[in-house]
Amino acid sequence: MATDPYTVHTLDNGLTIVIESMPDVRSAAAGFLVRTGARDETPELAGISHFLEHMMFKGTPKRGWQDITIDFDKMGSSYNAFTSEDRTVYYGWVRHADIGKQLELLADMLRSTLPPEEFDMEKNVILEEIAMAKDSLEHLAFDFLQEKLFAGHPLAWPILGYDSTVTAMTRDQLWEYFQKRYAPDHMTCVVAGKVEPSEIIATIEDLCGDWKASGLADERTIPTFHEGVDQLHLERFNQQLVALTYPSISAKDPLAETAAAIATILGDDNSRFYWNIIQKGISSRAGVYHMEYTDCGALMLYGTSQPERVEQLVDAMKAEAARLCDDGVEPHELDRVKNKRRTSLAVECEAPYHRLTQLMDDMEYFGEPRSVEQMLADVDAVSVDSVRQYLDAFPINAIGHVTSAGPRDWPGAN
Amino acid sequence: MDTVTHDSLPCGIEYGVVHLPKRHVISFQLRVLSGCCADPIENLGLARLVEETLDKGTTRRTGQELSDAFDAIGAGRGSGTGRETTTFTCTVLPEHFEQAVALHAELLRTPTFPDDAVTANIDLSRQELIALQDDAQGLTDKIISRQTYGDVLGRHPLGTEKTLNTITRDHLVTHWETHFQCGTMILSVAGPIEPQRVADVFQNHFDGFGSSEQSRREPLGATFSPGATHHHKDLEQQQISLCFPGVDATHDDFPAQQVLLGVLSGGMSGRLFTEVREKRGLVYWVGAWQDMPRGLGTIFLGASTTPERCDETFSTLLSEVDRLSVDLQQDEVDRAITGIVANRQTRGDGTRARCSELASDLFFFGHPIPNEEKLAKVSAVNVETVKKYLDTHPRNRLSVVTLGPRPLSQTPGAATTSEVAT
Repeated sequence: MATDPYTVHTLDNGLTIVIESMPDVRSAAAGFLVRTGARDETPELAGISHFLEHMMFKGTPKRGWQDITIDFDKMGSSYNAFTSEDRTVYYGWVRHADIGKQLELLADMLRSTLPPEEFDMEKNVILEEIAMAKDSLEHLAFDFLQEKLFAGHPLAWPILGYDSTVTAMTRDQLWEYFQKRYAPDHMTCVVAGKVEPSEIIATIEDLCGDWKASGLADERTIPTFHEGVDQLHLERFNQQLVALTYPSISAKDPLAETAAAIATILGDDNSRFYWNIIQKGISSRAGVYHMEYTDCGALMLYGTSQPERVEQLVDAMKAEAARLCDDGVEPHELDRVKNKRRTSLAVECEAPYHRLTQLMDDMEYFGEPRSVEQMLADVDAVSVDSVRQYLDAFPINAIGHVTSAGPRDWPGAN
Repeated sequence: MDTVTHDSLPCGIEYGVVHLPKRHVISFQLRVLSGCCADPIENLGLARLVEETLDKGTTRRTGQELSDAFDAIGAGRGSGTGRETTTFTCTVLPEHFEQAVALHAELLRTPTFPDDAVTANIDLSRQELIALQDDAQGLTDKIISRQTYGDVLGRHPLGTEKTLNTITRDHLVTHWETHFQCGTMILSVAGPIEPQRVADVFQNHFDGFGSSEQSRREPLGATFSPGATHHHKDLEQQQISLCFPGVDATHDDFPAQQVLLGVLSGGMSGRLFTEVREKRGLVYWVGAWQDMPRGLGTIFLGASTTPERCDETFSTLLSEVDRLSVDLQQDEVDRAITGIVANRQTRGDGTRARCSELASDLFFFGHPIPNEEKLAKVSAVNVETVKKYLDTHPRNRLSVVTLGPRPLSQTPGAATTSEVAT
């Protein structure tokens, strides 16, 4: 398993650089993590971080929008960008000899001019993206869940924004947000693959060394978790999606691997949900997801079923949650989780792009890269006792929040 | 150049191995040359049910015990039913390779198809059919496949509510007895393992499993049927899917087709993304891809857009394909070639990708094709080659499906019928 050392370097303007050298591969991946996302928005500007992500592809002082995509494709880069609640990421995965060119292009994109002539056209594209999301039961349900769970807090805004906020958004608002949030002291540049760290640092210093820091203070606040029952009536879908959500820990909590293990034991392949819900024919899709952020988290038990079977599904999920709280887990269940994690880490270590995303998580959550050995040690530290400790602090047989989305009304729902 | 071995075991399994000494995991893929196209017409959905139920109990273990045994070695595994194959994939640390093979042999050779598992999985297939109704893109794919390929190649692995109702445990057992045997299996392995060891382990665990005579290497001989239909559904966006005949993976013109698809949709500078999304703002999603049952190639274009933009999106898709014959540029071709070559080289850092590539070669060509050979053919494509491809394979037979609130105003080359989506 890879044990390559990491290089961490910070430029004078605050840009953090993290490099993992992987001598046995033939490729390299580079990416910029900008510490801004939906949770940094005001309600009137819901969707602005995602809109900015689109606009970063539209032009710089050096390149027009076609030059940007052509230059990516000339390298044969596997590239893209995404926006989440707490970050915006731009990346490209190339043959190792092209890593310098890849970094130059990414760095140039992030000095966008937000070309005014492209603004309205891109707004159309985003409105189409929102329309596409409205045809997905899962997308609608999980946006609704976030809205209710974190009501009144920026984590409640949908990442794409609303039709109304995106339609009303102006280029000046984007520019102001961009100037404030896309500063080097709010960014991390990560490079993984067959690279020479000193060359990479010199390249990034050359490309980004004159970027001005903003000194912007972190204004993020921890949300209040709202209990209750909420429904989204959606007549045009055939299935009902139900989620039972409970407060949980943040991604950097020492019990984070324990929470992940609980989610696996309860809701992954060969899980309690699989054998006691899916293989009983109650629902074809049921699982558990640990929503984790730097400062908070939630554990969500969810499933979809035909509307007339939804009570049976919820009863079954609650029964499994109660059994876990009452009896805890068996040592052999933890062993299974650990064994699977070892294999998946070995697989992830092969591909620079996977290491890139892992390192971005590490920097965001822990402020430093974690070696595979460290990650395995964290996994090995999960025990029957740590599961008990977690469940005592964050029981999943309490009231929590119930979300229902689909054609059926939910008794007592708001 | 990596060493690739290709041979057949005495038990009848055809196998290939890419020896990758520096990797940390081994991936293997076992393809049984029988998929949903082998389902009797009255029992559609049967092949997938067999695949879903094989690991729910063996003569030695219950389904849960079998899954626990896989988890005990940390195996990352999966299975799937396609039109022509049922595939089992597995990735493990090298020290667990033999146990992973032994467990696959156990589920493939000694399944018990427990009654409760059969009943549950038939019910789950019914539920998945309902879930498909809520998946606009998946439903569009299902409809255009049936329209284009007909009753056999165009069927969906889930079957239908009616055919699922006819299936019993006996059907599953008969299907397994008929289709699962060494002579219908193709194995691909990639990782830090010597080919001889692969051969020894598989021969040891599969020896005597059904007929060793190799069969089912021939394509199904399907045909392409043009047509145009609209399927009404209450959606925010209209789904558009259209396709026309192309060539299959073994055809001499295949490299040109790959480059053509790269020009259309290989990256964000591709013509579809540029013209449909970036210049006109008509869509968020647009793409082109190829579908390749053995012996048949089909080129697909797809997009989703709000209903008022549907006609313009459709006409732009068509005009972009037609325009290629007129003004294709060498730099577009060069970018498409670079994209294909670089993609192979970057993703090739993953062992699973290498295994999957080898499996594809064995399935389509019957032998491994060195990466260098494939990439050299792609790299030799130029503007003239692509134009010749376009001349040789005219796009005068279209299959078009729209799904959403309203039909297209005009559909060139075919009559439009309007149906309710199923």
